[in-house]
Amino acid sequence: MKSINDRSQDIGPFVSQTDDGVIICRCEEITKGEIRQAIHDGMFTVNEIRRYLRSGMGLCQGQTCGRLVKNIVVQELDVIPAQLDPATSRSPMRPVEMKVLGNEEVTHV
Amino acid sequence: MKRYDLIVVGAGPSGLSAAIEAARCGLTVAVFDENAKPGGQLFKQIHKFFGSKEHQAKIRGYKIGETLLSEADAVGVKVFLNATVSGMYMDKEILVRRGDAMEHCKADAIIIATGASENMVTFDGWTLPGVIGAGAAQTMMNLYSIQPGQRVLMLGSGNVGLVVSFQLMQAGCEVIALVDASPRIGGYGVHASKIARCGVPFYLSHTITKAEGPDCITGVEISQVDDHFTPIPGTQKHFDVDTICMAVGLSPMSQLLKMAGCSMIDDPRRGGQVPLVDENGETSIPGIFAAGDVSGIEEASSAMIEGRMSGLSAAAYLGFLSEKDKDSSLNELEVALNSLHQGMFAPGSKGKAFTKTDEGIAVSQSLLKKGYLDEADIARFNHFDKKSGVHPVIECTQNIPCNPCQDACPKDCIKIGKTITALPRIDADSTCTGCGMCVASCSGQAIFLVDEDYEPGYASITLPYEFLPRPQKGDLGTALSRSGQPLGVAEIIDVRSAKAFDHTTLVTMKVPVAQAMTARFYKREAQRAEL
Ligand SMILES: Cc1cc2nc3c(=O)[nH]c(=O)nc-3n(C[C@H](O)[C@H](O)[C@H](O)COP(=O)(O)OP(=O)(O)OC[C@H]3O[C@@H](n4cnc5c(N)ncnc54)[C@H](O)[C@@H]3O)c2cc1C
Ligand code: SF4
Ligand code: SF4
Repeated sequence: MKSINDRSQDIGPFVSQTDDGVIICRCEEITKGEIRQAIHDGMFTVNEIRRYLRSGMGLCQGQTCGRLVKNIVVQELDVIPAQLDPATSRSPMRPVEMKVLGNEEVTHV
Repeated sequence: MKRYDLIVVGAGPSGLSAAIEAARCGLTVAVFDENAKPGGQLFKQIHKFFGSKEHQAKIRGYKIGETLLSEADAVGVKVFLNATVSGMYMDKEILVRRGDAMEHCKADAIIIATGASENMVTFDGWTLPGVIGAGAAQTMMNLYSIQPGQRVLMLGSGNVGLVVSFQLMQAGCEVIALVDASPRIGGYGVHASKIARCGVPFYLSHTITKAEGPDCITGVEISQVDDHFTPIPGTQKHFDVDTICMAVGLSPMSQLLKMAGCSMIDDPRRGGQVPLVDENGETSIPGIFAAGDVSGIEEASSAMIEGRMSGLSAAAYLGFLSEKDKDSSLNELEVALNSLHQGMFAPGSKGKAFTKTDEGIAVSQSLLKKGYLDEADIARFNHFDKKSGVHPVIECTQNIPCNPCQDACPKDCIKIGKTITALPRIDADSTCTGCGMCVASCSGQAIFLVDEDYEPGYASITLPYEFLPRPQKGDLGTALSRSGQPLGVAEIIDVRSAKAFDHTTLVTMKVPVAQAMTARFYKREAQRAEL
């Protein structure tokens, strides 16, 4: 079993696959091939891929693709799922317009 | 900032149950739900639930939701709808979006009961319009009366896939096939049989390899998979469909717990990222609890019990309930929860292949592979005792947590006993009056009344019917076998509906006596003409 924190490890060359064109993160339109390439560029965690590609940063906030991206990393790095953290959760967990986010009401009806 | 004793996030079965218990102990409770309607998943569920009387068995899901809601109301729980909880912070503060403003609320204890979201699998074309989640299909049909499509292929043979397939047919859609990568049907055999007898084929060890269509779904290609779930080239099959429905599991929506700093684990058996909780649902942060699907994908029946446990624990945590009272109530609930965690489909048995029932009878392989019992199976389950006159035939052959049939019979003809997962048996000493209560109350639609001596050469078969329009007395249609094969002409000789049957119509058809143990469904004449 490999450690995902060992960035010096050789994960082999990027070899294209027939389903690389399939969209994984539909909100940001990111394909499987782009995610696999990102891993070969050195992005080994869901968080890193998220910052690198914006996967999981769209409307659904990774609700759909979070699991799918994780599975791609698991396969590409040949690790077990439990070794990988899912992306960090932070507020707001649902998309919200800036004008609403900035409109903090003090009174409660 | 508004303060409460307890804040509950999510007004599904677990959240509402938690709120009710806590409010009964005297806590001020606020429940926030992002939906416009309370009840969570329950309000989409028009089918009768499994379980026992205490678990609201044989009651339809939406009715359970309505009951919980009025109970919550009666004990003074405040339910805020269209209120999305967007954040939770360590000191038990939440951020709620209501309308176009954000509000902060604080409580001394918080229960997270946010449920789960649907999983997706990817294949060529999966983002085309027409590919939807089973939950979405259920919401469209049962909440908004919209037919998701005309011709549907369902991916996933767990209970959700099976139940939603049946509901799609009730809504007038044609279910073309049920596909699952696993070599066995994942959900209850009784649910699978309801679909199989309508003629829907199961393709196990198959998966979708392509959704076809220029800008929306016009067809689908499925392929057989090998032991590693890899599609086998050359095994493709094509179906014309306009909708692909996915019922491939749920993932707990546990983000709020995670952002508040609760310890989490990745547990595939519980559906993904779940909080570490003790037996009462308390997380690693004292006073923050998790209940229902968010702490592990299960059922509404267990979600309600878990909710009540966390509600009582929160009350005790805040000193509204003595430790002694808490313990005695919790013990009772634990017993109830354990009784649900028995049998072939228990959380601990996931993926296990049973060869025998608890009673030692070899399980039906046909049921697991094709969705229906074959004739050899029928002979093996010896509770199909043939008697003269009308008698029940129970085609429920797996150890599932369910027993409404036992309570339903006024003549005590049906026995399950104390172990809720035991198979129902027919008591040879009791005499059936043909009242039909068992047929109507069986959540699995697995009980039929058969009278081999109805008329010389003819038998009568009474079956549960939940489609519209209802057949009429005198109608001629086609009798279908357990696999949905036409057997010949059947005449409707009785149609019964009663309040106690709760929207299940009992249809009695007359068939040649040779079909007494093979005819299990009725297809209306009009449907025959439509074909
Ligand atoms: C098709 C289908 C059939 C089923 N059949 C059965 C059955 O026969 N018997 C059975 O026992 N179980 C059945 N179940 C399972 C059952 O519905 C679920 O296990 C149960 O609803 C879980 O309850 P819950 O309270 O944990 O979550 P849910 O019912 O999912 O409720 C969660 C609630 O939280 C709200 N929420 C989520 N996030 C937020 C947020 N950030 N802010 C505010 N609100 C939020 C949601 O809007 C929702 O109302 C079925 C499920 C499906 C999908
Ligand atoms: S038809 Fe009535 S009497 Fe006969 S087994 Fe069913 S519930 Fe009992
Ligand atoms: S026969 Fe009894 S135990 Fe089996 S599904 Fe029907 S009600 Fe439940």
